[in-house]
Amino acid sequence: MTAPPPGGGERDPSARVYAPDFLTELFRNPLDPGYADAAARRAVGPVSRVRQVLGRPVSLVVLAVIGFLFAVAYRETMAEEPSRATARAGLIAGIKQREAETDRLTVRAEQLREEVGRQRDAALSGSQASRLRNLEAGTGLGRVRGDGVVVRLADAPQDKDAVTGEEAYLSKVLYSDLQKVANGLWAAGAEAVSINGQRLTATSTIRQAGEAILVDYRPVTSPYEVRAIGPGSMRDTFDDGRAAALMREVARTTGLSFGVKEVDDLTLPAAPEPRLRYAEPSVSPSPSPRPSGSGVGGSRSPGPSGSGVSSSPSGGVR
Amino acid sequence: MIAVLALLAGVVLGVYLDPTVPGALQPYLPIAVVAALDAVFGGVRAKLDRIFDDKQFVVSFISNVLVAGLIVYLGDQLGVGGQLSTGVVVVLGVRIFGNVAAIRRHLFRA
Repeated sequence: MTAPPPGGGERDPSARVYAPDFLTELFRNPLDPGYADAAARRAVGPVSRVRQVLGRPVSLVVLAVIGFLFAVAYRETMAEEPSRATARAGLIAGIKQREAETDRLTVRAEQLREEVGRQRDAALSGSQASRLRNLEAGTGLGRVRGDGVVVRLADAPQDKDAVTGEEAYLSKVLYSDLQKVANGLWAAGAEAVSINGQRLTATSTIRQAGEAILVDYRPVTSPYEVRAIGPGSMRDTFDDGRAAALMREVARTTGLSFGVKEVDDLTLPAAPEPRLRYAEPSVSPSPSPRPSGSGVGGSRSPGPSGSGVSSSPSGGVR
Repeated sequence: MIAVLALLAGVVLGVYLDPTVPGALQPYLPIAVVAALDAVFGGVRAKLDRIFDDKQFVVSFISNVLVAGLIVYLGDQLGVGGQLSTGVVVVLGVRIFGNVAAIRRHLFRA
């Protein structure tokens, strides 16, 4: 801002004049220097006739063009907004639709599984069928009913500042809280546990993905209801356990809600069928010393038995 | 006065004709608007300074819009379109502010 004026008239012409740098010039003299030059030219001599006649209409046309541009840009911006909103709404609708489809398919899978169970029971003798049912109940693959406890966890109530409308810091239930509660219930002797209707099995996961908590890759939201079926002493054992003590302390200090109550005749749904993974024999070009037939059989056998509890019913049948 | 009428006529024309901007030109529309605003405020200030010149106004508008568009186009090709448009908006914005301040001094002597 303190740079000297560029045209120091009385200066020695041979002295080097440093023009102020671009930004300084920009801030100090925002007007196009062309206007000053044109004014200086006009002061020296008269403008040509062509420019006298054409100048004004042309600049008016340009002004009209500018107005046109403003109008077009405004309309364009306005037209873009709803298209963005519709795209968003379309995505949300797509998600909702897929979720509904998944639910429908899950229900259908459950029906089919029950059908399979009925057929199997009809085909098997009584003692084998009951053994299979017990195994299914234990591994979470069958629907179970019984008395147990319901643990309710919920995020702290949303608290809006009355003046600024700003949302106050919100205490939320963490995935680790759900893990602790579920583990506490197992430790207290629970035979079956579900979170918001998602049955937990030996391979279930409770994880956080961004803001959402995923139980077996399906999102669950507050309030969380952890249901467990187990022996009558489970409630007291859980209540005295570390998980309950910790959650009570957290609830006291942060405003989360946490409650345990005993409920009779709970029904827990079956978990989705676990995807079994089988080891595939790798086709290696190098000849193995053993005959290939026994090698294939040997590498396949760990598959079903290696995948743990989930495969034991089928193992028990044969 | 006539100038304001011409501007309004352009706005009315734009509203009534409702042209569709081809998709390829859409990213340059906001930059063109800023460049046009710069030319308009420059012209108004020159008018108040009593050095307005038709040719200067027309040429400055056209070249502003073209150069701004070209810079953004180049930036898009080089992958720095966002940054270069920010640069264009900053430079033109500074000029608009300076000219509006000069206009304000002319009109309100403050």
